[in-house]
Order: sequence, then C-alpha cells, then structure tokens
Amino acid sequence: MTAILEASGLTKIYRRGREEIRALKEVDFRVDEGEFVSIIGPSGSGKTALLNVIGCLDTPSKGRVILDGTETTKMKERGLVRLRREKIGFVFQQFYLIPTLTARENIELPLLFSRKGERGRIEEILDMVGLSDRGDHLPGQLSGGEMQRVAIGRALINDPKIILADEPTGNLDSATSRMIFELFRDLNRSGLTLVIVTHNLDLANQADKMYTLRDGQMVGCEMLAVPGNGADGSG
Amino acid sequence: MNFITLAVKNLMRRKGRTGLTILGVAIAISVLFSLIALNTGYEIELNREMDSFGAHILAVPKGCPYEAASLMIHGGVIPKYLNISDLEAVRSIDGVEVASPLLMYQFYKRDEATGQNNPHIVYGIKIDDMREIKPWWKVEGRFFEDDEKKVKVVGRELAEKENLTVGQVMPFGPHREEFTVVGILERTGDQDDLLHFLPLEEAQRLSNKEGKITTISVKVGDLGRVGAVAVEMEKIPDIQAVTMTQIMGTITNLTGSARSLLMTVISIAMVISAFGILNTLLMSVNERTREFGMLKAIGASGLDIGKMIMAETLIITALGGLLGTVMAVAGSTIIEGFVKGMLPYAPLGSFIHITPELVAFSLVFSVGLGIVCGIYPAFKSSQLTPMEAIRGGLE
Repeated sequence: MTAILEASGLTKIYRRGREEIRALKEVDFRVDEGEFVSIIGPSGSGKTALLNVIGCLDTPSKGRVILDGTETTKMKERGLVRLRREKIGFVFQQFYLIPTLTARENIELPLLFSRKGERGRIEEILDMVGLSDRGDHLPGQLSGGEMQRVAIGRALINDPKIILADEPTGNLDSATSRMIFELFRDLNRSGLTLVIVTHNLDLANQADKMYTLRDGQMVGCEMLAVPGNGADGSG
Repeated sequence: MNFITLAVKNLMRRKGRTGLTILGVAIAISVLFSLIALNTGYEIELNREMDSFGAHILAVPKGCPYEAASLMIHGGVIPKYLNISDLEAVRSIDGVEVASPLLMYQFYKRDEATGQNNPHIVYGIKIDDMREIKPWWKVEGRFFEDDEKKVKVVGRELAEKENLTVGQVMPFGPHREEFTVVGILERTGDQDDLLHFLPLEEAQRLSNKEGKITTISVKVGDLGRVGAVAVEMEKIPDIQAVTMTQIMGTITNLTGSARSLLMTVISIAMVISAFGILNTLLMSVNERTREFGMLKAIGASGLDIGKMIMAETLIITALGGLLGTVMAVAGSTIIEGFVKGMLPYAPLGSFIHITPELVAFSLVFSVGLGIVCGIYPAFKSSQLTPMEAIRGGLE
C-alpha cells in the first residue's frame, strides 16, 4: 500500500495568554491510498489540531507531514493554497455553507478559487450526494443532513485525493449521521481516501482503521477491515 | 459564478446593514455632489452676470469702493454722481470703443396686493450706447429715442409683475406724469428683467439730477488694453475706474469665506463617511473570520478573500454613489434655496450646475472611497491563516 499521508513526530503547541497548550505530542500517523480512517478521542484530545495540521490549515511546531509525496511542513502559503485546492477536501461540523447561495452554487464555490471551469461535474456531484432534485434550494430550505451533503459535495468538486472531515455528524441526529457515514462509505468504495474525526464510537468503528487520541498522544490504532471492502467483515 | 455575484450574494446576507451602509455613502456623496455643483454653478452664474453687464470697465465716482460697484452691477444705487462732462473726457481716451452713461435712481412703490413698499430701480440711458454694450437686447414694441419725452422701456419680469403691456400709458415719477410703455425687453435672465429704462435726460429730470450720471460703462476695443485704459480714465479727476476683473475679485473675496466653509463641510462629511464605512467593513470582517477560514480550507487564497471583500466594498460604495447622485439631482432646488440664503452675493439665476463630468466625478469618487476604505479590511482578512480564521480569533 502506498501512503497518501504520512505524519511523524507531530507536535503542536498553542499559547493562550501565558498558558501553553500542547495539543499534539510526537504523533505518528499514516493513511494509505483508498483507506477509510477514523480518529476518535474525547474533546480536547487534539483531534481537530491533528486534522488541521495534516490538512495544511495549520503548521506543526515540530515534526513533518508528507501529503501525496510532498512534504507540506516546509511549504510556503502559496504552495499550501494549491495543495488545499487540488488534493484536499474539507468537511466541517457546522457545514459552513453560504446561506444566500443555492446548494448548487455552494458546491460550485471552490471552482471560483481553483479557476476550473468544469461545471458539468456539479450535476454529477449533486447526484453522487443524493441531492439531484435539491440543487436550487438555499441552505435554509434544507435539513441538517442535506446541508452536510452539500458540504460534502463542495469538498468533492475539485476531485481531491483525500477528504478530511471534522466531526461531520456532530450536529446531526443518529439516523442522519448513519446516512452521512454510508455516503462516506460509498465514496470510499469508489476509491476516495477519507479521514474522519469523531467522538461517535459506533460510527468510528465502521472505518477501515481507527486511531485513538488522548491528551495529544496517539494511544491506539485498530485495524477494523481490509481497506476498500467495507467494515461489515465480509472482506 | 464570479467574484461579483459572490460579493452580491454575501451582501444580501445582511440586507439591513448593507442598505444602511449604502445610504450612509449616498448621503455623503449627495452632500459632496450638491456642494460642488453649487460651487461651480456659482462661478459660472457669476461670470454670466458679469458678461451680461457687457462692459469691461466701470467709471464710478471717486471714493466709491469696489463693493459699491458690485452692488451697482446687481442693480443697487449709490448716492454719488459723475458729471456728464466726464463722459466726453472718457470718450476721448484712446482705446475706448463705447462709453455708455447711466443714471440710476430708486423709488418705492406700494404694492396693492401685499401692502408693502417695494423698491423700483430706474436706469436713465443713451439707447444707442447701451445697445452697443448689450447687443443681445431685443424688445417687444420698440426702443425709445434719446430725445423722446415721457416714454419708457421695462424689463420682462417687471412687466409681468405690474401687468404692463406695450402702448400702455401709466402715471410715473414724483408728479405722476403720463408715461407710455413703448417697449418690453425680452427676458435676459439677469437684473435687466426688473428695471425701468428711461431716456437719460428724462431720468435726470425726474430725479432732479440734471447733468449728473451715476456711472459710465466702457467697452474697450482691444481686451489687452483694459488695464491701460483704466489707468487713463483715473486721470480724470472725478473718476475711479473699476475693471470687471477687480469686481469679480471683490465678489469672490466676499463669498470666499462662505465657500471655504462649504468646502470644510464637504471634507468633514467625507471623513466621517469614510470612517463609517471602514467601521462597518471591519465589523463585518471580524464577524466572518470563520467563514474566511472555511473559504481558505476549500481552496481560497488570501488574495481571493481580499478580492471578495474589495468587491463587496466597491459594490456598496458604487451603489451609494449612484443613489447619492440621484438624491442630489432630485433635491438640488431645495439645497439651492438653502444655500442662496447663506451667501452674501447670490446671483439671480439658478446656479446648481450639473454636468456629466460632475456625475462621473462623484461616481469615480465613491468608487475611490470604496478602494480607500476597503484596503485595510481586505488586507486584514487576507492575512488570517486558515486556523486563526477557523478558531475565530479565540486566542
């Protein structure tokens, strides 16, 4: 298996006033191509910090990250912007949709920044996230699950190598959460690599591999299934 | 979708605030627009009034200050006189093309409708000389001859006010003699519309100023010699020569303080408005840090975010500029009435002067205001790292 993401010795220290917060302590982490990985841990364990560092949204205080063969920790902002545009798709807990843009326009938004003209893909993606008939709705007219589907569609539009999702079901009820996870599962089956941070153990268990973070340290890594074959044990 | 449509949709998220900000810009721009329109219009109207006087130099009695000369042009009366013999002396100066004598006097007439005593101004003139000074004069009926008795020509506005018609005979002068209105001047748009014109000798007789004149209007053949002719004229003992340039200067000085006050008001209005816009933008940028973080996460660069903020600012100020210009044009007569009351020497005509250039200027200015006000917020938002943005300035 080729590693699409490899992090070693990651340390992240924040300062809040005089207090020094060590969010990550010497974390090693690896995601192979086509893998569905979950990261679990209580709040404050450093899950989001890890996701931000590997997603090129934040720089580590120490350690290095290699994304799709490129060491990101030494890159300038310009290069990081390109990486975020081309290789990474982000999904957030609060969806962060723009309320005055329709579902279709929200999905289209990254194309404005990547200057890609592939509008044709928008319909394909609407279909992929199950919102073909909802394209012209504003976020206010959609349910929470539908909004998160729009956000997932937005993460997919630039055809990323990897999807990073930060508590994607944190604002959703359990039935909707399961549906979102099924969508992730489907995307994974079609070859997409996924890293999902959650504190929902049931959902985390459906991944191929589950990492456990506690107090900024990686305390566990559990293989749940053979990558790409689903977590139902059939593979 | 492009940055403009994105900016418009972003602005629609906060309709109330966007609307108020646009209104703020609009008010500032309409103040700017009106005051500049007034200022340029004032100058143009003043020049027009000077031109309509027709003369290059005015000979006035010695000791008569420029302010009095200004007053005279505007149809005022001064209680000092030249002798008719001075006219010949002026005519003999080399370079003088026309020298037109003028006797002015004022009387009061009770207005039957309001019961008030209104001032009336009489100009005694030599008709041929005057028509050379004012070649644009046209008359309904006819002009009088210099040696005619008991005839007069009146200005159009006066004729309308007093219901005078050509051929009408009316009592006039201190002894209520029967005067015939032989002509009514076509509208000139200046003080001439309000005057009674009499042959010079008749005016002298009615006012008991035989052989006296108030002023001599001089037209010079070669404009380059105005100064030299004025110097020659001053050598005549009774005469003080005032050139139109000097009168303009006096009026400009008189109104200068009022106009610099206007300019100060404009500047302060602009600064207040700029800070208002800046404050609103910064507030909005601070509120939206998380959104910027999201945008960065989905591939926007700092420059992209800056561009988006700039587009939003420019839309606000351009719309504000447009609205402000429309407001200023629509309300120009109200503003004019207000400002006319404030200026010490207000020309008679309308002096709000709206040109395509001024409209273009105020639109360009509002966009410029947007650029100035947008730069800092745009820069600030573009400099946020995605993490700072997502944490929303928590630290």
